[in-house]
Amino acid sequence: MIPCLVEDCLPEIGLAVVSVLERLGVGVKHPKGQTCCGQMAFKTGDAARARALALRSLDLFAGPDAVVCPSGSCAKMLRAYPQLFEPGTPDHARALDLAGRVREFCEFTLALPGAPDFGARLQARAALHRSCQLDGSEAPARLLSAIDGLTLLEPERPERCCGFGGLFSLQFPAVSESLVEDKARELLALKPELLVSAEPSCLMNIGGYLTRQGRPVRALHAAQLLDLALTGGATWS
Amino acid sequence: MVLTDTFTPRNFRGQSHLAARDARLRAILDHATRYFMTKRGVALEAFADREDHFGRARVARLAALSRLPELLERLERNATAAGTRVHWARDAAQAREIVAGIARDCGAKVVVKGKSMVSEEIALNPALEATGAEVWETDLGEFIVQLAQEPPSHIIAPCIHMSRADVAALFREKLGLADLADAASIPELTLLARRALREKFLAADLGVTGVNMAVAETGSVVLVENEGNIRMSTTCPPVHVAIMSLEKVAATLEDAADLLRVLPRSATGQRMSSYVSVLTGPRRTEEPNVELDGPRETHLVILDNGRAEVLADPVLREALLCFRCGACLNSCPVYQTVGGHAYGSVYSGPIGTLLSSLLLPTEDTRDLPFGCTLCGACKKTCPLGIDHPKLMLRLRERVCAGSPGLAGVAHAFLALHPLAYRLAVGAARAVDPGLNLLPRLPGLPVGLASFVDSRQPPRLKTPFSAQLRRSRKKGGA
Repeated sequence: MIPCLVEDCLPEIGLAVVSVLERLGVGVKHPKGQTCCGQMAFKTGDAARARALALRSLDLFAGPDAVVCPSGSCAKMLRAYPQLFEPGTPDHARALDLAGRVREFCEFTLALPGAPDFGARLQARAALHRSCQLDGSEAPARLLSAIDGLTLLEPERPERCCGFGGLFSLQFPAVSESLVEDKARELLALKPELLVSAEPSCLMNIGGYLTRQGRPVRALHAAQLLDLALTGGATWS
Repeated sequence: MVLTDTFTPRNFRGQSHLAARDARLRAILDHATRYFMTKRGVALEAFADREDHFGRARVARLAALSRLPELLERLERNATAAGTRVHWARDAAQAREIVAGIARDCGAKVVVKGKSMVSEEIALNPALEATGAEVWETDLGEFIVQLAQEPPSHIIAPCIHMSRADVAALFREKLGLADLADAASIPELTLLARRALREKFLAADLGVTGVNMAVAETGSVVLVENEGNIRMSTTCPPVHVAIMSLEKVAATLEDAADLLRVLPRSATGQRMSSYVSVLTGPRRTEEPNVELDGPRETHLVILDNGRAEVLADPVLREALLCFRCGACLNSCPVYQTVGGHAYGSVYSGPIGTLLSSLLLPTEDTRDLPFGCTLCGACKKTCPLGIDHPKLMLRLRERVCAGSPGLAGVAHAFLALHPLAYRLAVGAARAVDPGLNLLPRLPGLPVGLASFVDSRQPPRLKTPFSAQLRRSRKKGGA
């Protein structure tokens, strides 16, 4: 499942996901017609539209396969689908089934045979942004720590929100900006060569802020970093 | 930040904007909330089997909510038997009337108050002053904000938004202490407040407090504090009025003990508060149990003010589990950035957003549940397991019923129609790949301009699906 943000603005994340998974022996299908998981509607209180979008996803991702998503927040949305339907209805049952098959990319990869030691190598100092949207998941840290040569650093308040919050950043821009400023300061204090996260929206928010501040640090998704390390990236520079 | 003329949650967005831009306020809040979080973290670290204790506290609260009418009746019966007069208040106006009536009946000239959020909720002080009494807040923080003529900005730390120097300046002006230095220490400042308040305690005709929990089986009121001012307010004056919102009942002393094991640890990082008062009725005057101290008259006001309605909602009622430890405020990145006043209502932060939205008119609180990034720090912090983000979403749904934002509708429409979606994004890509025009599109929130100003927006690129198709074709050929 490819988030709309990745589809149109950060396609390189999707390509890295496919590359990593195929390299690790996973058959990847990409059902056509994906748009949005309904998160925006859901989080802005528009349950009817969220339900309509959930129904689309239920059709697109019918079938027994695991549904891998390179975004904590979209994976969380897919897992929230059962809330949108009346218990006991067929759609609720389908939503439950899908929720059980959803895996955030790092979680999924960590469960593959041989994990986490895939022989990945990369010399770099990377600051990890855990993202509140991953609900404290250790998967990104565990997956990336296994990369040989990678120094994975965590900021002072690893799970603190970066201030994006979707529409929040537009409705409360000054608060959002204060929060991303805090986050950027704590991340830069680590003197990282790159920034890594399993949440594309945080990457866009923090990366965009650092660029505007004239302190560009490459912001990579965990899948991109792993892809580089698996293809023998050797040294980051 | 200067408070706007009208302290109302209608101004939440504007107020939070001003607050976030106030570097001094942010620094004070950052320092104070970190201090609370650190102390709390240390206390919880040392709290053996804490999850069990949290669970017991949650069960005590859930049990109370599930049989609230029955427990409140028992409370009334047992409190009455102990000699307390019990009053029921449907709303804030009625509660004010009841307490003002008691003040008039006892001819109160001086009223001392213990820290009480529910008395803020019903705006009690002006009503008491209208009876001709002088009203003194005796909690140090409340005393400070009373002198500053401001509302409290935190459930348990009313003047968390002020620095030590701010307080020194305030005392200089309001207590006539011209020589007081900005660098005065906290013990020095406390001593000055103590001196000012001591004479009020001794002169008081009426003491007014809130209630941390009311015990149904004994008719007792339990009060938790650190300064002794509540002990003074409930024992020095001849009359004591305790005001409780109706969800604060606990079935038994056993349940109250389960809550007391958790409340001070979560609130201030203390194993137990310096003072815990369990008050059951007025001073006993009959042999063989003659008591030499305590008020001769005690009252308990039980306030609904919209809660019975909240209780009927199977999702939102969870907000009534709260016992006001304030930890969710300290952990919330938004509260840490804007403080309590920005919310424009008595209760602030995550739990305040929920309570205000539930207790105040919807048209006044529309923005509150949106001032949250749904990061879940509150839920993680809450010892009673309240799922604030879930309730926040439910409130958003309620606010938006019938009128979701234009941008959201457009996005959802496009997302439901994949071809239209691809065409729309494709058109945007052709015209404006850097998304430079984005802030000027009609129907999009003004905040977008601000967002793009501080953050380089992503560029629209050749979509993932097209790139994947291309590479697979190549691979297959």
